[in-house]
Amino acid sequence: MTAADTAAPKREARTPRKARDRVRKVAFTRALNDALNLAMAKHDEMFVIGEDIAEMGGDFGVTKGLLAKYGPERVRDTPLSEAAIIGTCAGAAMVGMRPVAEIMFADFIAECYDQVVNNVAKMHYMFDGQFKAPLVIRTACGGGFGGGPHHSQSVEGWFLNVPGIVIVAPSNPVDAKGLLLASIDSDDPVLFLEHKALYRSRAEVPPEYYTTPLGQAAIAREGSDVTVVAAMRMVPMALEAAEEAADAGVSVEVVDLRTIRPYDAETVLASAAKTGRVVVANEAPKIGGLGAELSARISEECFSDLKGPVVRVDGLDTPIPFSVPLEDVVLPDAQDIGAAVSTAAQY
Amino acid sequence: MDNATLIGLYRDMWLIRAFEQGLEREFEKGNVPGMLHTGLGQEAVQAALAWHLKATDAFFPDHRCHGINALAQHRHRGDGERVMAELFGRSTGVCSGKGGSLHSADPRVGNFGDNAVEGSYMATVLGVALAAKLRSQPNVACAIIGDGTVGRGEFHESLNMAAIWDLPVLYACVNNGYAISMPVGDGHASADIVDMVQGYGFESRQLDGNDIIEAWTGVKEAVEHIRSGAGPYFLEFKTWRWQGIFAGEFRPEAEVKYWKEERDPIMLAGEALAGRGMDQAKLDAIEQETTDLIEEWIAFAKDSPEPDPAKATANVYVGWEVASR
Ligand SMILES: Cc1ncc(C[n+]2csc(CCOP(=O)(O)OP(=O)(O)O)c2C)c(N)n1
Ligand SMILES: [Mg+2]
Repeated sequence: MTAADTAAPKREARTPRKARDRVRKVAFTRALNDALNLAMAKHDEMFVIGEDIAEMGGDFGVTKGLLAKYGPERVRDTPLSEAAIIGTCAGAAMVGMRPVAEIMFADFIAECYDQVVNNVAKMHYMFDGQFKAPLVIRTACGGGFGGGPHHSQSVEGWFLNVPGIVIVAPSNPVDAKGLLLASIDSDDPVLFLEHKALYRSRAEVPPEYYTTPLGQAAIAREGSDVTVVAAMRMVPMALEAAEEAADAGVSVEVVDLRTIRPYDAETVLASAAKTGRVVVANEAPKIGGLGAELSARISEECFSDLKGPVVRVDGLDTPIPFSVPLEDVVLPDAQDIGAAVSTAAQY
Repeated sequence: MDNATLIGLYRDMWLIRAFEQGLEREFEKGNVPGMLHTGLGQEAVQAALAWHLKATDAFFPDHRCHGINALAQHRHRGDGERVMAELFGRSTGVCSGKGGSLHSADPRVGNFGDNAVEGSYMATVLGVALAAKLRSQPNVACAIIGDGTVGRGEFHESLNMAAIWDLPVLYACVNNGYAISMPVGDGHASADIVDMVQGYGFESRQLDGNDIIEAWTGVKEAVEHIRSGAGPYFLEFKTWRWQGIFAGEFRPEAEVKYWKEERDPIMLAGEALAGRGMDQAKLDAIEQETTDLIEEWIAFAKDSPEPDPAKATANVYVGWEVASR
């Protein structure tokens, strides 16, 4: 049994009930921008830092308007110094500040991997609680837009094996806002993954402050025959596949992980036990990734409930090629999930 | 420098030496787990830094900094023995045995912890400095690094960022001539690190790291400069470590002899004190007192309980418990 994935969240859920009444359709990026704005107002000692995030508002516009509102001390542009960006956040967090870094593309986290893995993630443990690292690292991940090998990767697998880090991975604008606000509130360091293909997705997002609890999955669609466990872009794809499966008379339950580490094993395992047929969908390469972990865990703990082996949908074991037809082959899509659901449904 | 200060520094250097020599002895007996890097021969640098840094400042010690860790702990909290206990991996250690030699920290004395990935805290120090600046606190954030760290990307990212943001960072580079076996001039564009630093445009100075008066004065000036809000400061201490490499001594015999017999910083300070009329008996008494104190610390460490195995899973996260086996 691994440690972190058995972890149970200490905090209670807070549902934005009243907020639901007054709603508007906003983009994922705007929801994140909202969250940053509200958090900056709430936490005096929060600052945002990254490349081209101030005047320009970031490559994807997520930090737009913050400079004008909060000034250059709290909205800081940096040179191309990823290690120094995360180091700055770590040091400031050690003395109680609440920094939010933007790493322009998740692929570039390789440049500050040491800072995240050896310093940020271990700080609370190796100094036995004397320092906390309440920082958030926001980064744009994932493929599907012809970004090529260095602008398309899904990096959650790089961090799955790192105790101490929290990996948050929203699939829709409402969760994106609530999860980002919860991540900023968290006293643990959070790697906050923003899938680029979701940036333009829209939803009715409550305008006010609310948090979505970390470490809790959501049932994105209830079903009884097959469970699909997914995160980020795989969630809308799984929902699409579920819709098609419904036409064929197969009832699919979609579990949206929302937090990848420590993940909500309770919800995942309960759904797996309920349906007895499981698909795990993951954009990254198959070997050693999120799909591998989920599949192993479900097989280990729900063996007697399963009607057949867990079916895995993953990216191919290649870098991400530039050319769109090639990329299409490498990355999984709704059809691949649909095929996996059909396979599982046969059990 | 007045006599009282020089005597104080002499005592501090002896505390470091006694600490490291006692530790080395216990390591050889198998009582100290893991790896051991000592600061023997570099006592003047550490004593000078420890003297001028306050508990409200922050320093990131390197792998040879047991001495400064112990001095800070002893001076600000009166429990230097907890630094020793950490090295023995005991529950009474400053990190309850989770950190050991390479991850010893106590923020209450300004010790922000070593990071065994050499030089990674060149990045971290920026954040502590930035926080001080944003909060208008007159604090110094100090990174103590070896010459080997100059090869790291973080070294350069850090100097650049400290320069553009005018951060209150003190860089203390301990140039002892080698990174494990790599001579400093072979590993870097210049054997004099200050030459490489000059392009960043802030104050930098090279000091004799075996001359306590020069080291102490240099640190004093650098710290005053930083506290006045004048931006970062880089100090390079030319010195030499007594410890060779794990396989033993690899440096030329004449070089070893020169540094140990003619350039021992404690011996040089003793000579300076003798020149000021201090009698040998008083110097011997300082050596004896510090050695006795360190033996007490070693006894404390040895008598301390091992950590409770149940603590192995504690403090991974703030917000989550981690399951045990
Ligand atoms: C990033 C990194 N690379 C390599 C090592 C292994 N290592 C430990 S000490 C050391 C040499 C450090 O030399 P220097 O900074 O000059 O310090 P000195 O031991 O001479 O005091 C090396 C290479 C490490 N700990 N971290
Ligand atoms: Mg060296």
